[in-house]
Amino acid sequence: MRGFAVLLLKEERALFSSPIAYAVMTVFLLIMGYSFTLTLFISHQPSMVHVFFQMFVLFMLTTPLITMRLLAEERKLRTLEVLLTSPVSEAAIVLAKFAASMSLIAVLLLLSGSYAVVLAYFGDPDFGPIYSGYLGLLLFGSALVGTGLLSSALTANQVIAALISLSVFLMLWIIDNFGWLLPSPADTLVVNLSLAVHFRPFAVGSVYLSDVGFFLSVTLLTLLLTVRALARR
Amino acid sequence: MSPAVLAQHVTKWYGPRRAVNDVSFAVEHGEIVGLLGPNGSGKSTIFRMLTGYLVPTSGSIEVDGHDVVADSLAVRRAISYVPEDAPLYDHMRVGEFLHFMASVKGLRGAAARASVDAAAERLDLTRAMTLLTGKLSRGFRQRVSIAQALLGDPKVLVLDEPTSGLDPHQVIAIRDLVQSLAGSRTVLIASHILPEIEKIASRVMILLDGTLLTADALKDKTEAVTLRLSAGAPQDAIRRIVLQIAGVRGVAIDSDGNARIAHYLIRAEPRPSLAADILAALVGAEVAVSELTECRPDLERVFLDLTRRSSGVAA
Repeated sequence: MRGFAVLLLKEERALFSSPIAYAVMTVFLLIMGYSFTLTLFISHQPSMVHVFFQMFVLFMLTTPLITMRLLAEERKLRTLEVLLTSPVSEAAIVLAKFAASMSLIAVLLLLSGSYAVVLAYFGDPDFGPIYSGYLGLLLFGSALVGTGLLSSALTANQVIAALISLSVFLMLWIIDNFGWLLPSPADTLVVNLSLAVHFRPFAVGSVYLSDVGFFLSVTLLTLLLTVRALARR
Repeated sequence: MSPAVLAQHVTKWYGPRRAVNDVSFAVEHGEIVGLLGPNGSGKSTIFRMLTGYLVPTSGSIEVDGHDVVADSLAVRRAISYVPEDAPLYDHMRVGEFLHFMASVKGLRGAAARASVDAAAERLDLTRAMTLLTGKLSRGFRQRVSIAQALLGDPKVLVLDEPTSGLDPHQVIAIRDLVQSLAGSRTVLIASHILPEIEKIASRVMILLDGTLLTADALKDKTEAVTLRLSAGAPQDAIRRIVLQIAGVRGVAIDSDGNARIAHYLIRAEPRPSLAADILAALVGAEVAVSELTECRPDLERVFLDLTRRSSGVAA
């Protein structure tokens, strides 16, 4: 895709030269380190299930901070005008921003991999749930980044972009609690929109194609809508 | 060969507001065309549609034979755009930004370096390459924005208020730069400053409230000339002598003349020896001529006439 590599390099530089990336990493590692240590000392189990659930919540809170500036800032500073009148496709622009944000998610997951190393060094953990947990977090992260990117494409205000994505994440997190109250078949439909329902199996070591498909579908749909939002001006 | 730019019945609505109303024009290859209009008249909207940033609500635009909607990437390869207020990536250094834009335009390696160096030299940026764009003055930002537009040798250059915020030296430098592009590239330049457009453009389009009032405000410049004559003789005699000269269409008395010397405005078809022929005829008839000068077409008057007429019609 024309210009993708150039745009990706630019996005990576912009992301890792901004204080937001380091602030997110610091907060993430502080909270997760505290949580991992506390859980380990209380449970004495070489498991990362609790850590994965805490990372699930933390991702929902920090991803809007990563994605809010992606297109909203470009729109506000009018550099989007420069970019969109250059010979690069809207898809390349969106994918470069998505890939750059995913690289930060990947860095966070890699750093948290140190917990698995600690468990393997001092105990004998079951690596199946650890692998599936990381796969789940990666897929979950991509769905969050896609949604955050779409929010950022809809406004020139970064705070509003962050609030939109945070609201969507929180609503889709707890939607299953209300979904069960609905009559059939609406209950199944609404419950299946829940992020927690689709993530839970990954954290405990089960990988279902339906869950993989759900996160991939959300990612693809949000990326397509973002490209469309940029293309239809 | 298709024109460099061809806009046909282009209209753009922003919600309930019509920003551009049924605008049609063509720009030939190598022309420098000015788009003149007050702030908010729709100049930037037209330029954003030409460059593919905005999609027209109705009508069609072709750049170098490619439709801006159906073949947007081909249009963006042929066109370069300098938006108003020169938006730049403030975290990048000048050299980094120019290299990034060169890469975005498909230039690689030595070709990219050569293009960046040439653009930087042309815009006098060679000593500013390591400065952060976010720390630059408005004039510098404008030059960096124009430099990025020159990268990749685009066929069509679209400049939206390129001299706003520049000092007089920089304005002259940009004007010289644009004029040096005449013939080799097509340039569309928007401004609300009359003298600037008059000096740079070979053709001026005037826009008011989204409507194109004329696609060539200076057309009269080539179709007819006006000469101002000050002479001391009976007015009827002078009128008779001048009207006999080939190409003269009419003679009018300019009102501020006094009894001894009267002033006349002579309207005629342009030709090289016109003034000499008029002078020879008058001197031959023993008329005392104190002044004979060509009046340059006044864009300001054309602009005011057109906009006033349009407002009158609207009212």
